[in-house]
Amino acid sequence: MSQERVLKSLEQVLEAFLDRVVAYKQPRLQVLEGINRLDEIARTPSQSTEITDQIGEWFAANNRLLSDDNLRAGDITRIGDILGEIKLRLDLGTDAPPAVRKISSEIDRWRTNTGRTEKITLHRPPETVPAPQSTPGPTAAQPRPVVPEDSDSIARFDRFLKHAMDLYTDYAGNKKHLLSVLDDLLTAAELRQNKDALILSGFLIYYLKLGNYKVEPFVRRLKKAEEILKGGRSNA
Amino acid sequence: MLRPEEKAYCQALLALKRKDYVGAMRYFDQAAPGFADSKEFNLYRETTRLLLVVKDKLAELANEDRIDIEEATTNG
Repeated sequence: MSQERVLKSLEQVLEAFLDRVVAYKQPRLQVLEGINRLDEIARTPSQSTEITDQIGEWFAANNRLLSDDNLRAGDITRIGDILGEIKLRLDLGTDAPPAVRKISSEIDRWRTNTGRTEKITLHRPPETVPAPQSTPGPTAAQPRPVVPEDSDSIARFDRFLKHAMDLYTDYAGNKKHLLSVLDDLLTAAELRQNKDALILSGFLIYYLKLGNYKVEPFVRRLKKAEEILKGGRSNA
Repeated sequence: MLRPEEKAYCQALLALKRKDYVGAMRYFDQAAPGFADSKEFNLYRETTRLLLVVKDKLAELANEDRIDIEEATTNG
């Protein structure tokens, strides 16, 4: 067989292999294309009406993603987060056009169907410390404030660890390296002022530092995110 | 939200779909820093690279004046 024939044959085999790769990756590719497009919409500065049109088109093209069951936990988190950012940019005043309200309700519907509903802020009363034991006089029979068992710092930290574990699982879903997880967590801490993401980032940075990773750039981002979080609170 | 490397990987696969192997190789190279440990990624990247080498060689052979010499074996 001539060299040319051998090469032709090899070319056909390689092309056939790559065709199969594309076919095998097609469902994943559709998901990534959908996230990519949504990301572009979120990052491109544009008027509310333009976003409405673009998101409308995105929903039309990508609504099937939910029913196709190809989304990973990390994808759902990403899409939910981006849609949340986009919703914040929509002008939802009382005189908002019907199209904008429709898109807003579509975003809510998507996030509800994927279990990512609006963030709920829970308020609790200030912590109370039981008064020191003293000999009660006849007039000292005041009822003590009831201290819920989980209002102490141990229980709160326990809850934080559980939240942090869920957060880590979400962000680590499709990552190949811990540095990628850290990168996304810092982005969440910076852009969404997510305190849990900030704390978890600090934890990961220390872990990586002990593993002799170069962490200085991440430390700088951590400090910046911390300042943003403090600034956001003081301005609130 | 997609990292640049993820976007590049995605673009590489889309280029493969279009059979734009040169473009795919360029995107694979851009994506490489984020997927250095992925055997799957490296397999697709190296297959594309090999295919481009084969295509280059075929183009080279097509353009050069040559004499094909085939071995002939006689019986007995």
